[in-house]
Amino acid sequence: MTTLPTTAPQSTTAKSDPIPDRYLYGVMAEFTTPAQIMKAAEKVRDAGYRWWDCHTPFPVHGLDKAMGIKPTILPILAFLGGLTGVVLGLLLEVFTNATGFEFWLVVPIRGYEFLVSGKPFHSYPAFIPVIFELTILMAASAVFFGMLIFNKLPTFYHPVFKSQRFSRVTDDRFFLVIESRDPKFSRQKTRALLEELDPVSMEELES
Amino acid sequence: MSTIVVDNTFDDPLRRAPLVLNHDRFDTVTEEVCRVNEEPHPPLAWYITFGISIFLFGILGVMVLYLLVTGVGVWGNNAPVMWGFPIVNFVFWVGIGHAGTLISAILFLFRQKWRTAINRFAEAMTIFAVMCAGLFPAIHVGRIWVIWWVFPIPNQMAMWPQFRSPLLWDVFAVSAYFTVSLLFWYMGMIPDLATLRDRAKTKLKAISYGIFALGWRGSNRHWHRYERAYLLLAALATPLVLSVHSVVSFDFAVSQLPGWHTTIFPPYFVAGAIFGGFAMVVTLAIPARQLWGLKNFITMRHLENMNKIILVTGSMVGFAYMMELFIAWYSGAMYEWFAFRNRMFGQHAWAYWIMIFCNMVAPQLFWSKKCRTNILIMFFVVMCVNVGMWFERFVIVLSLEMDFLPSSWGYYSPTWVDMLTLLGSFGMFLTLFLLFIRFLPVIAMAEVKAIMPQADPHHGHHDDDDDHHHDVEKAEVKS
Amino acid sequence: MSVSQGNMTAGSSERLQLGDLGPRYFRLGVITAIVGVGLAILLGIFTLDSIDRFFRAYVFAFSTILAICLGGLFFTILQHLTRAGWSVTVRRIAEALAWNLTWIWILFVPILAAVWMSHIYHWMHPEGDMLLEHKAGYFFFPLHYDSQVPIFWLVRAVIFFAVWAMLARFFVNNSAAQDKSGDPAITSKMQWWAPLSMFAFAFTLSFASFDWIMSLEAHWFSTIFPVYFFAASACGFFATTIVVIYLLQRAGRIENEVTLEHYQDLGKLLFAFGVVFWAYIAFSQFMLLWYANIPETTGWYITRMSGGWAWVSLLLLVGHFGLPFLALLTKHTKRAKPILASIAGWLLVMHAVDMYWLVMPTMPESTLYEASTLAAFRAEATNEMLGFTPHLLDIALLVGLVGLLAAGTVQRLTKCSLIPERDPRLHEALAFENM
Repeated sequence: MTTLPTTAPQSTTAKSDPIPDRYLYGVMAEFTTPAQIMKAAEKVRDAGYRWWDCHTPFPVHGLDKAMGIKPTILPILAFLGGLTGVVLGLLLEVFTNATGFEFWLVVPIRGYEFLVSGKPFHSYPAFIPVIFELTILMAASAVFFGMLIFNKLPTFYHPVFKSQRFSRVTDDRFFLVIESRDPKFSRQKTRALLEELDPVSMEELES
Repeated sequence: MSTIVVDNTFDDPLRRAPLVLNHDRFDTVTEEVCRVNEEPHPPLAWYITFGISIFLFGILGVMVLYLLVTGVGVWGNNAPVMWGFPIVNFVFWVGIGHAGTLISAILFLFRQKWRTAINRFAEAMTIFAVMCAGLFPAIHVGRIWVIWWVFPIPNQMAMWPQFRSPLLWDVFAVSAYFTVSLLFWYMGMIPDLATLRDRAKTKLKAISYGIFALGWRGSNRHWHRYERAYLLLAALATPLVLSVHSVVSFDFAVSQLPGWHTTIFPPYFVAGAIFGGFAMVVTLAIPARQLWGLKNFITMRHLENMNKIILVTGSMVGFAYMMELFIAWYSGAMYEWFAFRNRMFGQHAWAYWIMIFCNMVAPQLFWSKKCRTNILIMFFVVMCVNVGMWFERFVIVLSLEMDFLPSSWGYYSPTWVDMLTLLGSFGMFLTLFLLFIRFLPVIAMAEVKAIMPQADPHHGHHDDDDDHHHDVEKAEVKS
Repeated sequence: MSVSQGNMTAGSSERLQLGDLGPRYFRLGVITAIVGVGLAILLGIFTLDSIDRFFRAYVFAFSTILAICLGGLFFTILQHLTRAGWSVTVRRIAEALAWNLTWIWILFVPILAAVWMSHIYHWMHPEGDMLLEHKAGYFFFPLHYDSQVPIFWLVRAVIFFAVWAMLARFFVNNSAAQDKSGDPAITSKMQWWAPLSMFAFAFTLSFASFDWIMSLEAHWFSTIFPVYFFAASACGFFATTIVVIYLLQRAGRIENEVTLEHYQDLGKLLFAFGVVFWAYIAFSQFMLLWYANIPETTGWYITRMSGGWAWVSLLLLVGHFGLPFLALLTKHTKRAKPILASIAGWLLVMHAVDMYWLVMPTMPESTLYEASTLAAFRAEATNEMLGFTPHLLDIALLVGLVGLLAAGTVQRLTKCSLIPERDPRLHEALAFENM
């Protein structure tokens, strides 16, 4: 039903020098609609591939399931980050404002018992705002940096970037890449599998 | 691409209004949004406002320099009003900074899809407003070269910040808010920066966008963690938004001063912040959508929705005004009652009535759909709110003029330095904002694409519930 | 979703009606009510020396169920105000709870008796008390307090109950009418009235909480008090809804219409409003009064932090915030029906404890003002003076009133389908998925 103007399927393998097997990163197929990539992902998943990925301009609803991606542990990371914030905030405030405790960290560091506005040294209600802010700060940082680390970002070099057509992945095209390191990968069979899915183009990627 | 004006403000229980108009392809969306950054020259209005803004920004620099070399005596702050314009401006700007994260976090949790068209620049506005806000307490401390004393850094004097002080809570709240908002804003921008990278015509652009895009390649394994992280950040930012303005309200409310010590302050400040923030979003959205032709994304429905939120939060604020007034009488505390009488009929009564008119009365126009969808009336109301919310903080701060002891009463008047610093802060805000529009993706393209009916993998496969597709055709054509 | 749609058109299918369960539950509710209230009256007659204690317990029980009903009304209006689609299939529960507001004025009669027959509302006796004389107008206007007829207060009570009954009737009846006609114009009509209704709701809830609960401590005042009561009512409402839906599904009703997605969303709302928002408001009020520490307001908290009440405060901190916060943090608990229902049940208990904590303590004023230090006050004040005298009567009255609430709710649920069958947005609710 697609309303997109489809370009005729092109094959870059027709080029003069095919990529030697050992430099082959994988095979990439290009699709034009979310429905197509969805169907393709289900097929590839069912064929038993493990080292493959979809590339889309926006998160396609349900594609995680179609690809069989396991849920991320980021929520746990957020919780641990938050917990760190609570502990850190509490220790910081109690140490600096409610104790006369001293320790050495390169230089002597000493807490101080502030007596201000008739409040007790351990004024927990007054300590809550800072604890709260540190909790959120730590949890949010854990989520953000955790996301980057798990995604191995920044990665400025990647074989897919060598493809000219791939630049449309951030615009309106959907790509499926099967990597050559997958135990099931075979140049012919994998290509045939993708060919069946009716892509607008197919390409082999050099690693 | 067609530029038909489609009325999507209808309220029909049978179908949802389309949120993106005149686009049924993803590439035209990319094209239209990126044009803002890619056109060789921005509109003339951009140059004019940028010139004015940078001039005002310069004035701010001069004023700050003058303040630093002379001392805070150049301001009108003096006994008994030790907190004058700086704190008013601080609270005003922090308040403005609440809409962005509200739109990106709270509306996200409530699955309000219309947020996608406005969240990016509302978040940018948040960042810049918080920067303006942070400036005022920083320069207010007097000796800015020891500003690091507000942080718990071990120093040679064995001196720590006093954690029972609400001013210190502010330091933590505002810096946490700024950091988290920045992370949120930047994270949302990564896919769009990748779009600009992939479309870049020059090496310089490709490299500069490329660095900030972090090598994003739209991998679905990445999207999976990205979406989860976005949801978690939204869930974390939501209580953060509430806490920040609550903490700001604590600055006043933990004291014993009549007019400040009121328990409604935390939720009332939060409602006021959202109110003022949304007004600023509408203020900026109206010219922006006009100048850069973004009317297909920031549609009339978006503006109307924001106006509804302005009406709701404005009424909450009005309700809090009345509640304060009622309890001031009901409490039987004569100082409290005096403080309120003084606000209404005292030496700065004009400020109180400006506040009441701008914040409580003017937004009531939005009860009428005609007013909610009329650009001129809308602009009038949001300008009222911008003014009114500044005066609200002014009125609150001026409770200092007349406290318990008549011998210490006084009259506050700002100096020319106060005035020009306030004006200059608008210059800073607008300069940053105009630079943002020029160089960064103003609309979250990836998110907008994701809410288009075409983004649904089942789109066009079922006959039963697929009426989204025909929405545009069915919608009444205005002109 | 087309599967569910098919089931829907069957319409009067068994699963969408309460059927024979209705009369059974209704009887159960009525019997509980009779037993509970009867036991309370007996206990009152034989064990109490003052009728004040009975009336205070009654105000507690009344506030607890009133809060839940008001939460139902709030939710119903809110869904129309926001044009929500996901919530259509759970809206009937809210409507049924709100419906109780049409008759709950009957339960206000004992409070009228309390005003004249007891001293719990001590603003009735302002003579000699400067503050109470000052605010007597809020209760007695246009009369003098000598008249002992708090006209203004009574008129307000009439307005509140009238407004609530009108709003409940309007939204519930129109929603039920749509089951028959399927006319989308009914939805439009309710949406048109939703904003004004919300304003009326906010106004009445605020002043009702001032008039009936905050004025128990007539000297004390707090501008955030209505927001606190609102947070409590949201907690009570979401907890009740989850429990009711769970019970209905256990009995084989609305099994396909309310999915795990709805449980998760209701769980989120319970977490957001019933736990976090409640804690935010509670903390804001506490923090500001504790920090400023001025005699006008601080006594209210000193009372609640002394004697047995200190433990109740701690229980609320841990049981109304800490534990449910941790329990509801993950989506796994929100998507496990029995677990979510248990947490909701626990929060319902905590809601009652919260109301108990709000209503029952008395401020031993002379002791409070005479004591030179907090420690001296705590040494002087006994649990008796602080009003910390838990009694079986409290629970009996609460059970009795909850029985009535259940009977009223069940009665309403038998009158129509358990979901708005022909709501124009029903398909959205059936196809609803969390992101």
